[in-house]
Amino acid sequence: MKKFIALTLSAMIIASVFTGCGSSASSDSSTNNESAANGNKTLKLYNWGEYIGDNVISDFEKQYGVNVISEYYDSNEMMYTKLQAGDEYDVIIPSDYMIERLIKEGMLQKLDKSKIPNLKNLYDGVKNLAFDPDNTYSVPYFWGSVGIVYNKNNVDKADLEKEGFGILKDTKYKGKIYMYDSERDSFMIALKNLGYSANTDNEDEIQKAYKWLQEVNDTMDPVYVTDEVIDNMANGMKDIAVSYSGDAAYIISQNPDMDYYCPKEGTNIWCDSMVIPKNAENPELANEFINYVLSYDAAYNNSETVGYASPNADVLKDMTSEGGEYANNNAYLPRSGYDKDEIYTDNEVLRQKLSELWIKVKAGK
Amino acid sequence: MKQFRSMAYPYIIWICIMIVAPMLLIMMYAFTTKGNDVTTFRFTIQNFIKFFSDDIFVDVLRRSLLIAVITTIICFIIGYPTAYVIAKASGRKKIMLIMFVTIPTWINMLVRTYAWMGMLQNGGIISKLFSLIGIDNLNLLHTSFAVVLGMVYNFIPFMILQIYTSLSKMDYSLIEAANDLGANNFQTFIRVVFPLSLPGVISGITLVFLPAVSSFFIPKLLGGGQYVLIGNVIENEFLTSGDWNFGSAISIIMTIIIMVSMYITKKIDVGAKIEGGDAK
Repeated sequence: MKKFIALTLSAMIIASVFTGCGSSASSDSSTNNESAANGNKTLKLYNWGEYIGDNVISDFEKQYGVNVISEYYDSNEMMYTKLQAGDEYDVIIPSDYMIERLIKEGMLQKLDKSKIPNLKNLYDGVKNLAFDPDNTYSVPYFWGSVGIVYNKNNVDKADLEKEGFGILKDTKYKGKIYMYDSERDSFMIALKNLGYSANTDNEDEIQKAYKWLQEVNDTMDPVYVTDEVIDNMANGMKDIAVSYSGDAAYIISQNPDMDYYCPKEGTNIWCDSMVIPKNAENPELANEFINYVLSYDAAYNNSETVGYASPNADVLKDMTSEGGEYANNNAYLPRSGYDKDEIYTDNEVLRQKLSELWIKVKAGK
Repeated sequence: MKQFRSMAYPYIIWICIMIVAPMLLIMMYAFTTKGNDVTTFRFTIQNFIKFFSDDIFVDVLRRSLLIAVITTIICFIIGYPTAYVIAKASGRKKIMLIMFVTIPTWINMLVRTYAWMGMLQNGGIISKLFSLIGIDNLNLLHTSFAVVLGMVYNFIPFMILQIYTSLSKMDYSLIEAANDLGANNFQTFIRVVFPLSLPGVISGITLVFLPAVSSFFIPKLLGGGQYVLIGNVIENEFLTSGDWNFGSAISIIMTIIIMVSMYITKKIDVGAKIEGGDAK
């Protein structure tokens, strides 16, 4: 009898080890089973981490009687590598320059606009952007800018205005900065601070930007983060962080000591859009999902939870008008019409150089 | 005997699929590069030249080896006495102690490393304890200390269990004989116990050194991204840059380093066995 108990116990332990592994690997598949009654259809969503409203997926599942499986990525480059390795997804949400590349390489399929009547809800400023002039392949999901979140009590705004992104090299703030672990954004910062275009493919300019970033790495003791920056800055762990506008809006809403600043030398304005890869298993459902995300309720929930500027014109208006969720928040609405701001374009020379140089920046010292 | 030999076939097939084939693929990637329009592959050793001609990569390699060596030494210094105490303990107590060593390994390594992140960061439990004795704002996260701590914590059970096994297999009459012949406890340990436990020490060192030198998520989580080790470079080449050729070349370089170090430890092992024979 004792042996039997021991055997059962060890079997249970082994089982728990395996389930432990299993759930840690697929804990992202946020909600399944909920609508299993109808749910023979499954939508595979490949999204950025912490980038969707609390209720959007569960509401979509309930309303359409389907399952949604979510997976997450940290960078466009990581997403691209996975997609190219043959992984299948129904909806992905890459950024502008990556969408341009995916279109160029024939990895996306055209949207079925008859299934997306909510396209009419789009805010004029995010329609027909250069990377996809007629929204043939992509529908905006969020848009924003790259800037600096800083602690108003510990950082002198005058320094920020004088130095712009150069504040990341100001040894006064050594050990107090977060860099964002993204090659394209980090090089954008260096290039802009040096007075070049973020879309350059000039070898000399890229090398200078590389030196710029190496100097930051070697003298400033920066910590490279991705989504951790949100919670860490909300807790006031450091004084300066490179951040996307929407993360900044969330940080400010959590911690009133923080503020957001876009330097005068210009920055990147970006737009992350929903696309359907060529090898999607369920393109029909993907179109329905895109349509659903454009609806007022879903777009509102998205923007309210995550803090990025909504592509839905009505939501954008309600969020920023008096009494709205982000009415007095500096970071929510990206600045527009500033001629030094740039949208990224896809450029093969730049792309290859950056992927080679970025790990070397981080590996220094 | 012969009829049992066929039972090895599933294992051989398994090895072919899971070890030999991937290794061949890595070799193929390492010695090729994306070709032009005419050929898909071009043979080259450019990937290796790229690695060794760049001070930064060589530096990273040196740093990874150094961290792995430090981790191994600390694991040994803490692990040996622990294993000794466990081997000396009796009955129920021994089982309890072994349980204490193994229970943490039942939990996923990644989860345990995340737990350390919470404990080490400023405002975490450790900095709170230090602020009680007047040291404020202690931030241990994202330092080399945190990386080494994470590695020692994760890999030390391998060291303890290996040493424990060889200590507990030891013939106690040898120790009695040493005592009879007038050796004091210290002499007995140095001349008899330690040489006999060397095989365990060496396999413990191998089991700690190998994962430590190629670990990539511990430096990533506890080192905060700026703490790049060779495993992180490989991860980056595969996941972000998508340069599988260069990533494979680095993997091959790592494999060679590991094989050489295993060869050396094996030599020491053989030497130790001969010496152990002397002691008898």
